[in-house]
Amino acid sequence: MADVDLLIIGAGPAGLFATYYAGMRGLRVALVDSLDHLGGQVAALYPEKHVYDVAGFPAVRGRDLVAGLTRQALGADPQIVLGEECSSLEDRPDGSIRVRTTAGTAFDCGAVLITAGIGRFTPRALPAVDAYRGDGIHRLVRVAEEYAEHDVVIVGGGDSAVDWANMLAETARSVTIVHRRAGFTAHEASVAQLHASRARVVMESELAEVHGRDAIERVVIRHAKTGDAHEVPASVVIPALGHIASLGPLADWGLTIVGRQIAVGTDMSTGRARVFAAGDITDYPGKVRLMAVGFGEAATAVNNIAAMLRPGEDVFPGHSSELARPLVAGAGV
Amino acid sequence: MGYVITEACIGELDGSCVDVCPVDCIYEGLEKRYINANECIDCGACLTACPVDAIQAPGADQDPIWIEDNRAFFALPLPTRDEPLGDPGGATGIGPLGVDTPLVAERAANR
Repeated sequence: MADVDLLIIGAGPAGLFATYYAGMRGLRVALVDSLDHLGGQVAALYPEKHVYDVAGFPAVRGRDLVAGLTRQALGADPQIVLGEECSSLEDRPDGSIRVRTTAGTAFDCGAVLITAGIGRFTPRALPAVDAYRGDGIHRLVRVAEEYAEHDVVIVGGGDSAVDWANMLAETARSVTIVHRRAGFTAHEASVAQLHASRARVVMESELAEVHGRDAIERVVIRHAKTGDAHEVPASVVIPALGHIASLGPLADWGLTIVGRQIAVGTDMSTGRARVFAAGDITDYPGKVRLMAVGFGEAATAVNNIAAMLRPGEDVFPGHSSELARPLVAGAGV
Repeated sequence: MGYVITEACIGELDGSCVDVCPVDCIYEGLEKRYINANECIDCGACLTACPVDAIQAPGADQDPIWIEDNRAFFALPLPTRDEPLGDPGGATGIGPLGVDTPLVAERAANR
């Protein structure tokens, strides 16, 4: 059980900046994300792309922006929980809110700020894998040594699939990579490494069946065009088809959902007491879905939350330049 | 705003764009795919995935005919349907629609 003033759901740019502001307001803050890393979409989808419309940065690489936002956020000394999805939100008799994650973590908090962007990412469906109920499906790859006794089948043609095939090619008993298309979309150098490796490459084919009761015994691979099927010995299947984003459980939290967004007021309140939202997930007339706007909404939300939690305190936080101590180590040097 | 799929997709239906779209906003008609601009997050992943360069990024270079055609696929009732498709929130659950916009059907027939 964690007691915090503010729980922030979503650790993308808006959530990280909101975390900084929670620290500036002296709030005890927790930050949760269903991904296993900070930085949300920017880190997951375009870490190497440059962004040109963040105030003060004529050009900044995605991963560098995330690094700066993270450093800024850590000044708030947040409790950070990654790889867990917030599944339920309920009002408690004392007026606080309890949020639970799918992993069973519970937060009792004075307020909730949803900065969940386009929602949570879930693995793309793969019918043959989804129909199988036993062990041996690895959505997260473990250390290479654990695969020494395994015949591994990897499904997918992007960077994750090819990188994992390369990583396991030397250590696993066998590696087969199956891709539905004629070409890989992974980096050329990785693909070249793959073709030079021990891995068996099966193109234009799909994983059609996974056989076994408690453990995987074999799989059937079918050619996408000819329909020819053949069996491959397998004990581990790694689906690496990427992820799809959707709102997930928060769509059922009694908020006003417009399309894929949450309707908010000018103070970023959602209409449900103590629940606020900021960033790409919000909607109101004239909304512009940019990081630059999300940063402003994060500041608006957290300062209104601070004033709500502590009656008598001003919504305006004062100027950060006047702070007695900088929140970021090394700042101001 | 949003990315749009142009004429080069007709008869192609490669689907590499669908594999990389993180929000599942690319829908399959009969001969062509269409991007739902309300669901598209402008990430650009589909742009480089397309083998026939059929996709255009938001901006002045977008062909207004195909902006309108992508919009029409969702906003107007398709020839075999009574209601507009709207914003279903993901193409996977819906599957191929088996029908194109009148413009695409006409161009596909004349190929």
